[in-house]
Amino acid sequence: MSNSRPDRRERRSPGRRTARAPGPAPAARRSVITGIGVIAPNGIGADVFWKSTHEGISVLDRVSREGCERLPLKVGGEVRDLEPATLVEERFLVQTDRFTHFAMAAADLALADARLGRADYADSPFSVGVVTASGSGGGEFGQRELQALWGKSSRFVGPYQSIAWFYAASTGQISIRGGFKGPCGVVCSDEAGGLDVFAHAAGAIERGTDAMIAGSAEAPLAPYSVVCQLGYEDLSTSDDPTRAYRPFTADACGFVPAEGGAMLVVEEESAALLRGARPRAWLAGHAATFTGPSRWPESREGLARAIQGALRSARCAPEEVDVVFADALGVPAADRAEALAITDALGAHGRRVPVTAPKTGIGRAYCGGPVLDVAAAVMAMEHGVVPPTPNVFDVCHDIDVVTGKARRAPLRTALVLSRGLMGSNSALVLRSAAPDGLRSDPTREGENA
Amino acid sequence: MTETVTPEELAGLMRQNAGIPVEPVDLTDHPDTSFEEYGLDSLGLLGIVAALENRHGSTMPADAEKCRTPGEFLDLVNQTLTKSGA
Repeated sequence: MSNSRPDRRERRSPGRRTARAPGPAPAARRSVITGIGVIAPNGIGADVFWKSTHEGISVLDRVSREGCERLPLKVGGEVRDLEPATLVEERFLVQTDRFTHFAMAAADLALADARLGRADYADSPFSVGVVTASGSGGGEFGQRELQALWGKSSRFVGPYQSIAWFYAASTGQISIRGGFKGPCGVVCSDEAGGLDVFAHAAGAIERGTDAMIAGSAEAPLAPYSVVCQLGYEDLSTSDDPTRAYRPFTADACGFVPAEGGAMLVVEEESAALLRGARPRAWLAGHAATFTGPSRWPESREGLARAIQGALRSARCAPEEVDVVFADALGVPAADRAEALAITDALGAHGRRVPVTAPKTGIGRAYCGGPVLDVAAAVMAMEHGVVPPTPNVFDVCHDIDVVTGKARRAPLRTALVLSRGLMGSNSALVLRSAAPDGLRSDPTREGENA
Repeated sequence: MTETVTPEELAGLMRQNAGIPVEPVDLTDHPDTSFEEYGLDSLGLLGIVAALENRHGSTMPADAEKCRTPGEFLDLVNQTLTKSGA
């Protein structure tokens, strides 16, 4: 991803290399997104998720999970009306946590969307890998086993506890179930890890892997997990679903947590085209920085530098950014820092470019949140529509936040931002896979290269 | 409680502890079909051994969790239970 060069913009069939002018060495293997699988509070499956996102529907509601009723967190984004047994086989219901059920189901949806089946990699299982980001692991499973430990005795703790609650569970189960023997990993870098997974996926592809199943899903709305979050001073404890999470407004009072996430299939472009897959977007650039836990004023520079780094690695001029998917924490100091970071990094264009945060309608699913933003950004580019920011009106910062309803605009380049409560800042640049998105203006390329 | 473990009980434990649906009659008719073929991994068998120890109040031999087939497992476990109950 970081080595993508302008001459790679030219699409070519895998079997026939077009002649290139003398110049830099052949470019790195380019990563394209070919499949999207979503398990979100506002929809199961990418299409339903996009429809709800496009319409700006807010599904934030009172937290209803058993055991959470009397906790100070009142509003969340729950994945409802979803029977886990419809997602995964019974053995995984018993052996894994809800966050892994979500990730496995999302991976299935993504593979189906990409039409990447066992027949495609049966002869080359080492060509496909898995990478997920994880913020908290399997809290619900862990709670049940810890209750057995302290309520009965250590003899009543099931052995699957050892693999179900730790961060790597989803990567491992997806890999085993699908037979993916390529590079596998877990990114634990805060919420922003949900963007960093795509840098890891693109890196694996640059080093020779053909396809990566990449993303994150979280399930932080079980009692133990909620209690762990109550110490975050940035958590919104408002009991009004329409007012609990309103970033970039004078009424911002923190963020609302959510469960769910998305898994995407990322493939090396020529391998994808060779098997007849349809690239939906390509991963053009990424950069990450760290500025320390809850130091929101400092995150201004950290995020601005991440944006600049991502644009540089994408060889993308600030003016080429057509839409920004904001982190939108909902904490006044953090919102101010983000608005300033956008204009610091994009200059005057930062005040004109449409900025959106569809997560205000579903909440922040920790590492799953930025992956949902990536999914939304891909579909926004495909449809030429910037989805709105639900529940947000009267923006009090000098950026153009899309509120109310979706806005039509030709979108070739999307910038997705994420910050973690512990201080990670990440930026990811996505380019449209549509032919005109692949051939961006060569004069601009030259300026920036 | 020292009754022996029946195929019904083992099938129930495989389902409850590891989520492996299996009919008791299959365990009876094919005692040499390996746990692996049923999809039961070593953690699953470990959990079944612990559940039996909790339920029957006796310690199972260390080899119990290394058994490869239901037939082998039931023989070993029931020998142990019969001995401890005698």
